[in-house]
Amino acid sequence: MKRKLDNSVSLPAAVIINLLLAAFCLVCIIPFIFVIIISFTSEESIRTVGYSFIPAEWSLEAYRYVLELGDQLWRSYANSFLVTILGTFLSVLTVMMYAYALFRKDFRYRGFFTFFCFFTMLFGGGLAPTYMVCKNLLGLSNNYAALIVPGLLNPFHVIVMRTFFQTSVPDSLIEAAAIDGSGEYNTLFRIIVPIAKPGIATVSLLTALGYWNEWFIAMLYIRDAKYIPLQYLLMKMQNQVDFLVKNSAMIGAEAANIMSSLPKDSLRMALVVLIVLPIACAYPFFQRYIISGLTIGSVKG
Amino acid sequence: MKKRVLSLLLTTSMVAAMLAGCGSTQAAPAADAPAQTETKTEEAAPAADAPATEDNAEAGVDISEPVTLKWYLEGSNVTDDSAVLEEANAYLKEKLNVTLEPIWGTWGDFDDGATLSIQSSEDVDIYFTCSWTKNEYNAFSKKGYFLRLDDPENNLIEKYASDLWNLLPDVLTQGATITGADGYGVYAVPGYKDIATQNCWDVNVPLLEKYGYTIDDIKNADYFSLGDILETVKKGEGDSFYPLLIEGAVLERMVDNTIIVTGDTTGNVLSYIIDPKDPSKEGAYGNTIISKYESEEFKKFVEQSREYFLKGYIDPAMGNAEQANDTRSAKQLSGEYLIGTQSYSLGYELQATQERGFEVAMVPVTPAEIDTTSAQGAMMAISTASKHPDRAMMFLNLLNTDPYLMTLLNYGKEGVHYELEDGLVKFTDKRSDYQPWTNGMGNVTILTPTVDQGADFWDGFKSYYGSAVSIPIIGFSFDSTAVEAQAGALSNVCAQYSLALEAGTIDPETALPEFIQKLKDNGIDEFVAEANSQLQAFLDSQK
Repeated sequence: MKRKLDNSVSLPAAVIINLLLAAFCLVCIIPFIFVIIISFTSEESIRTVGYSFIPAEWSLEAYRYVLELGDQLWRSYANSFLVTILGTFLSVLTVMMYAYALFRKDFRYRGFFTFFCFFTMLFGGGLAPTYMVCKNLLGLSNNYAALIVPGLLNPFHVIVMRTFFQTSVPDSLIEAAAIDGSGEYNTLFRIIVPIAKPGIATVSLLTALGYWNEWFIAMLYIRDAKYIPLQYLLMKMQNQVDFLVKNSAMIGAEAANIMSSLPKDSLRMALVVLIVLPIACAYPFFQRYIISGLTIGSVKG
Repeated sequence: MKKRVLSLLLTTSMVAAMLAGCGSTQAAPAADAPAQTETKTEEAAPAADAPATEDNAEAGVDISEPVTLKWYLEGSNVTDDSAVLEEANAYLKEKLNVTLEPIWGTWGDFDDGATLSIQSSEDVDIYFTCSWTKNEYNAFSKKGYFLRLDDPENNLIEKYASDLWNLLPDVLTQGATITGADGYGVYAVPGYKDIATQNCWDVNVPLLEKYGYTIDDIKNADYFSLGDILETVKKGEGDSFYPLLIEGAVLERMVDNTIIVTGDTTGNVLSYIIDPKDPSKEGAYGNTIISKYESEEFKKFVEQSREYFLKGYIDPAMGNAEQANDTRSAKQLSGEYLIGTQSYSLGYELQATQERGFEVAMVPVTPAEIDTTSAQGAMMAISTASKHPDRAMMFLNLLNTDPYLMTLLNYGKEGVHYELEDGLVKFTDKRSDYQPWTNGMGNVTILTPTVDQGADFWDGFKSYYGSAVSIPIIGFSFDSTAVEAQAGALSNVCAQYSLALEAGTIDPETALPEFIQKLKDNGIDEFVAEANSQLQAFLDSQK
């Protein structure tokens, strides 16, 4: 009981801190609430009043249209899910194994591979060379691999993971396992992985977020509508509108025609809502591990 | 020591990363290097082939080797091309021994996709290009990404595409001839489409007649004398009705007779003024480029717009780039306007009448003229990375001269995407799966006319566009690389002021001097001077 008192702050300070954090939360969440409201606003009301927290007229039109968008939308949804789930699994597996090797002090080329990984974090080959290697050399175009492989090994995640191993896995544990006759793979997957669960969860969340939000890679390597993920679908719609607005005079009368068939504001917002929802649902799931990860870390100091 | 090396490494890497972050436009020069080597190898390749092809030129061309052509298009809305490709490829196999692999770029992804593909010399054979996409015709030809088609040493046009070349109007071939990496010549095949620019009033006829006016009243008025008509209709229709439905930039061109200078990326600070009676003659300012927003004409125009706006003739949404387009298309459809502005293409009044459900008339304000931008409005270039430039040229020739192939690739398969009704095309529901950008493919005049267009549509089309005259500086395009910094700053300033001024939503009394001052602060004078020196050099080279 006394211990708890030591840790607690005075009442005024607690009020101030809570207010500040609450304000910060609001700043984060208000734009998103706004997006949801706009997605339920009728097109007519956006046109006449503009965006508003209390729209003149509510409407489900945008969502109805989204549902009628049919195949492409569901296909993209499925693509995004597939890429996120498969990508996260593969990426976390790769990152974990790489980080584990770097963590082991008895690995001879540890210095080299640490540098190798760290180096790519600082230096990139640039867009065109990367594109050429991926597309021409590795054949990453118009397939799911193109969406997954480029993001497979994130050096930052490797370093996070290695640091996590260093702080939470004592060397003696590995020695003990070896003495008990455990092989390397057995040690990694049966002993280390259960201990490192919080770290893995953190990296998984970051990776999943990364894969879910990725549209740039899709823009580079995907030309077949079959493989387009959800984010890129939205991006394409947005680009399309921007481009036509900018160049309508050059494209001629046809532009007016095309423009009228393009999705409107509320529809784009509805898509944003559809994109954010699934990944927002993933947070609480990972949160448990992340919090326990923090506590484990602090106990072991 | 080790630490110092590492810190040095870190610093350099950070600087490098920062530089790399400095926008994608700067990345282009760096990509030049591989392009140059590319050109060289490409030059070497046809030279080695030359004896073989020359032999064949007399005895017909050797097409025994089957070839796959990749073709990157713009503005497509294609989800299922299997039926079309099956038929087209069977046909092409027989004619040219070619298998076609189109890449259906859309308005949203073409710019980045095609640019990247070109810069990394991917094995795409034919690219769409024009004066307003990111793979801009003049700039990319200069960088050596596009093959010169009339190279004196390997004249592909002469060899394989004389049919195509002869059917193109002179203005198009003239507009396509530019200075590129291999000298002054043709680097892409221009598409025969709506090549003239003409700006019109888009008139809601039933509403006009309701108030006892006729179309002649509009024809005889200009922007400055429309006031009475607008006032009457505004009174009759009530406060929430805005009779003028304008697109700021188009309206400005209509009123001031300005045209876009090709290559100006700033939101049109640069303008050339044409002679409204005869665009082939020099305009009021001679053959010079002016800073439009500083001109007397612009001042007079925005003051008039302000007056109309204050009287409630112009919808405030028209001055807001975010809302203007959506509002305009919605109001056009619902007929809540009296007079709109339209950059015209032949037959648009019929299309609009049908879409909107009331009679729409187009009243020309400016003469139909052809400038570099419209002449280079849609083109097909053969990449220097293409391994089969000969076959690509043959394909382009066939596409632009063979009505069957053009109609198939553009409109889809008969019986699937369209049905023939008295020899005219009537689209089916399936058309929504296969909708390439009609004008972005090539010679549209050989398409089977649609039911809406009527059987003699293309005759009218050819006579309308054939009679359009080109402006004196056709072929000129501005290269802004020397004044890149100014271009960026100026385009921001323009985005802030131009539309609002044109629609009258801000007061020119205070805003126009402020706008001009900001233009000056951001180097408009150097920008215009650079443009004029380039234009002078161009005119000298034309003599």
